[in-house]
Amino acid sequence: MNFELIIFYFYALVATLSALAVILVKNPVHSALNLILCFFSVAAIWILLEAEFLGLVLILVYVGAVMVLFLFVLMMLNLNIKELKEGFVQHLPLAILSAGIMLVQTILLFFNIKIKTMPEISSNITNSKQLGTLLYSEYLLQFEIAGVILLVAIIAAIGLTIRKKPKENKYQNPAEQVKSHKKDRLKIVKMKTEDYDG
Amino acid sequence: MLAEYLPILIFLTLGVGLSFVLLFVGLLLGPHKPDDAKNSPYECGFDEFGNSRMRFDVRYYLVAILFIIFDLEIAFMFPWAIVLDSIGTQGFVAMAIFLVLLTVGFAYEWKKGALEWD
Amino acid sequence: MIEFIMTIWGWFYPEIQTILIIVFKIIIIVLPLMLAVAYLTFAERKIIGFMQMRIGPNRVGPRGWLQPIADTVKLMLKEIIFPAQSNKFLFILAPVLSLTPALAAWAVIPFSDTMILSDIDAGLLYILALTSLGVYGVLIAGWASNSKYAYLGAMRAAAQIISYEIAMGFALVGVLMASGSLNLGDIVDAQSGGLFHWFFIPLFPLFFIYFIAGVAETNRAPFDMAEGESEIVAGFHVEYSGMAFALFFLAEYANMILISALTSVMFLGGWQSPIAGFGDSIFWFFTKTSLFLLLFLWFRATFPRYRYDQIMRLGWKVFLPITIAWLFILGLAIYFKLPPWFA
Repeated sequence: MNFELIIFYFYALVATLSALAVILVKNPVHSALNLILCFFSVAAIWILLEAEFLGLVLILVYVGAVMVLFLFVLMMLNLNIKELKEGFVQHLPLAILSAGIMLVQTILLFFNIKIKTMPEISSNITNSKQLGTLLYSEYLLQFEIAGVILLVAIIAAIGLTIRKKPKENKYQNPAEQVKSHKKDRLKIVKMKTEDYDG
Repeated sequence: MLAEYLPILIFLTLGVGLSFVLLFVGLLLGPHKPDDAKNSPYECGFDEFGNSRMRFDVRYYLVAILFIIFDLEIAFMFPWAIVLDSIGTQGFVAMAIFLVLLTVGFAYEWKKGALEWD
Repeated sequence: MIEFIMTIWGWFYPEIQTILIIVFKIIIIVLPLMLAVAYLTFAERKIIGFMQMRIGPNRVGPRGWLQPIADTVKLMLKEIIFPAQSNKFLFILAPVLSLTPALAAWAVIPFSDTMILSDIDAGLLYILALTSLGVYGVLIAGWASNSKYAYLGAMRAAAQIISYEIAMGFALVGVLMASGSLNLGDIVDAQSGGLFHWFFIPLFPLFFIYFIAGVAETNRAPFDMAEGESEIVAGFHVEYSGMAFALFFLAEYANMILISALTSVMFLGGWQSPIAGFGDSIFWFFTKTSLFLLLFLWFRATFPRYRYDQIMRLGWKVFLPITIAWLFILGLAIYFKLPPWFA
């Protein structure tokens, strides 16, 4: 058997099992860690398909950034699993509906997609350069749209999290502190000495 | 290309293996005498009080979200930076617009006080 | 004898032979790295000792030279304590997740123009992807310990590491723009022609920021808020002892050496000598790396620890705007082919 094939089946197996574990294990933090393992195996499979740039970016963005946020949230919220399970039956129809819609979408996509292979430029140009050349010549508009979406994401994230006015913090600006002078702060008032009956 | 990734795969495997071997050596050679006081979480000698997994300031989430966004921008800039000499003025202008968008978002963050820590 | 070994060697399948050769090469990288880590701890204590008018360790062996060995043996013989109510599996997994990326990143480092384990095209991206995994060891360690100090330290460290990764990433984009390749060997080749062609001159702000961000990434002084022994005792690894602690320690020092090596590869021309074509060799790579390691130790001896809000301010409000501005300037310089670097 081919060595590449063995590695492929190994990572395919790990990806499938870890994906199953994501929804089956009880502890949400364990779920997130399984999802990380799943992403990692998928990245390995992408690299096997000679898409090295995308494979590494998958690790960089999903494993290195998105899952960090997931873990942050899961660890800090300290979820109680019992509380989460209470509404299970109640929310089941909605869950089945949304899962069904996603399934139909995937099936439609699978049968209607026109696979456009990446044009072979030449084998001595690296994968990343091919991608860069394509992205920054043919797909410029999509690239700028991605930029706008990221801008919207920044604004939305701030809108969701920052509620109080920025003035309320206790931060001191050392530059301002150094610049302050005696005359700004201290007021010397001349007062008459009080007479007192001795 | 794949031949170059074989050493990386082996290195990762060996790295995990070595770490576990070292831990195993530690477990094997070291004593193992658990007792209540030793195993309790460190809290300067007091008995621990309250749950140790408390909730955190929302800023930490915000930093993580902003990190994802900026990380994505970096991922976009990597393929651009290596094809500079072949994409011409068009490519330069496209990235300039992208960077300006990013800067606008960054200025908004700053203005809104998302980067303030107290 | 040699004939005998060659006969046995011939019995293996060619695939197995390839794998054995790779394993051998990895051992050649990892063993000296471990030794370097051990003696870096010794150098740290000696150098900081001299900077503070002390002698440093001098009891074990001649002038204290066997001190790291003694430390290793001590750590091996200590008990690994599992705190009550900790998550045992994650508790033991965290140091592994910390050390593995710190080691595996060395696969793509070019030691000289021929000495490189795996010459992949996307080398720099691989480095960035692997260093971004380092945060998991910290996060999981802090959470699995079920201790307040560990948890606080982990959250702080994680937010700090990801903040500085942004500045680091943008600095790397500058290196890519100047070199036009993701391959680390090509990046060094792009700096050939002696001292004045090294990237630290045209990319000076990025060079500066990259190294400082590297110090912050590894949680070293003056950015060692995560440890902050005066307030949260030792941060995320407060509950770790024995070999489990040693793995975190190994990872931290291996990362220090990695950052130093990367800085010298990307900004100081790696294996190239300062005078063009005059004895380019691995010697220069080691010299430059040692120089940055000395800076790590010097920082620790000199600077007082930053406050957390100051760390975050430096990363987001100082480094990030400077890198973005410099990328604009660099873009213009490359577009107009500014001599002598981009002509």
